[in-house]
Amino acid sequence: MLTATKILQNIPVVSRMFPVDESDGLEEINSWPALMILTSFIWLFIAGLLGVAMPLIQRLGLDTDFFYRALTAHGAALAFPFTFQLMIGVGLHRNGGCSGKAISGWLPAMTYICMNLGAALLAVAILIGGFSVSIVLMYPLPIVGVQTGQWPMWSLVLAFTGIGMVLYTMIIFYPVLVLKMSFFGEKREDLILSERSMNDPGMLGMVLAALVLLIMGTPLLILATYVLVALYGIIPLDAVEFFTRPVVFQFAFFVFAHNLMEAMALMVISGVYATLPLYLADGSRKLYSDKIANLALWILLLTSFSSFLHHFITLFPNLPATLAYHGNIMSWATGIGAALSIFTILATVWKHGIRMNPGLLACFTGFILYILDGASAIVTSNVAWAFQLHGTMWQSGHTMTVVVAMALMWMGILYHHYPVMTGRMLDDKLGYRFVSLFSIGLVGSALVMLFGGADGMPRRHADWAQGDWMIWGDLLQGFAVLVALGLVYYAVNMMKSSESGVASKSPAAAE
Amino acid sequence: MMDSLYLSGWGALGVTLFMFIPFVAVFLYIIFKKSFSGAKPADTAHSKYVTAEWMWLGFVTLVFVLVNVVSIGYMPTVATAKAEASGHDIPTYSFEAQSWAYDLPDMAIKVGKPVRFSGKSLDTMHGFALYHPDGDVLFTMMLMPGMSEPTSLVHTFKEPGTYTIRCLEYCGLSHHEMRDELIVSR
Repeated sequence: MLTATKILQNIPVVSRMFPVDESDGLEEINSWPALMILTSFIWLFIAGLLGVAMPLIQRLGLDTDFFYRALTAHGAALAFPFTFQLMIGVGLHRNGGCSGKAISGWLPAMTYICMNLGAALLAVAILIGGFSVSIVLMYPLPIVGVQTGQWPMWSLVLAFTGIGMVLYTMIIFYPVLVLKMSFFGEKREDLILSERSMNDPGMLGMVLAALVLLIMGTPLLILATYVLVALYGIIPLDAVEFFTRPVVFQFAFFVFAHNLMEAMALMVISGVYATLPLYLADGSRKLYSDKIANLALWILLLTSFSSFLHHFITLFPNLPATLAYHGNIMSWATGIGAALSIFTILATVWKHGIRMNPGLLACFTGFILYILDGASAIVTSNVAWAFQLHGTMWQSGHTMTVVVAMALMWMGILYHHYPVMTGRMLDDKLGYRFVSLFSIGLVGSALVMLFGGADGMPRRHADWAQGDWMIWGDLLQGFAVLVALGLVYYAVNMMKSSESGVASKSPAAAE
Repeated sequence: MMDSLYLSGWGALGVTLFMFIPFVAVFLYIIFKKSFSGAKPADTAHSKYVTAEWMWLGFVTLVFVLVNVVSIGYMPTVATAKAEASGHDIPTYSFEAQSWAYDLPDMAIKVGKPVRFSGKSLDTMHGFALYHPDGDVLFTMMLMPGMSEPTSLVHTFKEPGTYTIRCLEYCGLSHHEMRDELIVSR
């Protein structure tokens, strides 16, 4: 029995949601992924509570410190230990089942431990220590906050330790694990569910994402390691002066942060490409065109590298206008990749017909949200509009929407893999209720944030009443309740999943 | 019309919805048609798919190029470059930002006269966003500490009034209180 299976069986209450079926001989591609997925849902619960709390704090006029703590913790929990971990859980299971490689040993263990322990340390630093710096750190705010007495030094050290562990997971452990499984190691026929090659769009995106994380994250990882080592007094603080200059830190940070989102987009679109063909009405199990699907992934990859410059458009002239416009153009160019993905999905559906189920519907509504985010993102990346929208709720709407869009698509893909991982079937009626409530809630929340941003409502701002923006906060609260209700249905569905009999090796055959 | 499109957040929202709403309508139509009312495969000729693909890509590329080329004329960076190339003497409204207040100059600003807003941060990341009296954002600037040059932009006011200055870069626990006012006269 793997360590992951032992842990899963001992998590109280929620272990019922993800009982790994040990009898099917697939423990080595199911166990660590199941633990990662289940743990991600625990973080989703925490992030969700904080998300619902934020508008409430404003409406009740509570201490603004609570708002900023909730804001920081909500963003951090949603993006990293929830969405990223959900992605790697489902993605690793897919990789294992398609390549026949086991997910075992120290690498998946370190991936899991560093992500969750790191996130826990960060959560303590934020919620107890008051380390309220927003999800993007806003460097040098962490240090200025200590200097001005806003939060204690211990919370900064604890937070940076946690952030460092999470960065090692995202930049080293997970990408190396993916590349190891994709290109090295012994293939085992007993683990193969549906063999695929690297030419398959469903596999290509995984490898491209891993390479993006590894390459674009290395500068930040070097910087973070040096800073952490200095914070612990192992080297003098003077030795890291270069790395702690705001311009150096900010550019290294956003080169990674932006490409992290692009890598996650590559992963999830790749996941949709892999899942959609399994539910075609004619049983052909083929996308309209693998070539167009792969081209979309390559365009997304190549245009995303330098589009991170759009984060600094309003720093003019310190970011020269030419570079600002380059970031503008490359951001819009990623839209060409999205346009090809739209065509691939619709042409596939039109040509082959589909057998709808809640998981596939979740993928489709998640994709709709992804395109809404894309449209809002490229608009705010335009230099002219950036000078009106940057720093408003528009940006929060964009960031939140891309994260939840990806999460919804992964939850849909998980719906497909769940019977193989657990030997249980999910209820379609509960599934459709989840998708309906969750999707309406998320689209509503996204649109409210965009409207708020257009109205000049600032993001990360604890006083919405100041500019008559409370109406947007109240609407957000309403849609947040729908989102929460949808998630209740998702959780109940897993808790009540019934025994299906023999778990099938073929995911689509589980239907 | 172009002014209200490119110089306002509502124009940005309009363009976003212009891209999103037709996409949703077509996407949902196809998905529901091929899943609930007619799930069977289509016998559409391959040439029609190819035509649809090229028309779609052509349309997307056209919209993208048009939107971005026209936007050049509305970029504050371009307006700044033009103003500075005009040879006219542009007064500089030089300010500093430090948690959680602005150190603003005592300077008269008049309608129709270009002004260079030039600012630095003394401690952490700050923003300098100017709000029209009706609540719309005119422009926003990012102030990063440690930069050798200030962040700057040239802006010409079209209307008199009391404009609100707000920090739009999260800067700590009193970020929401960091604001001031600017009076523009005829």
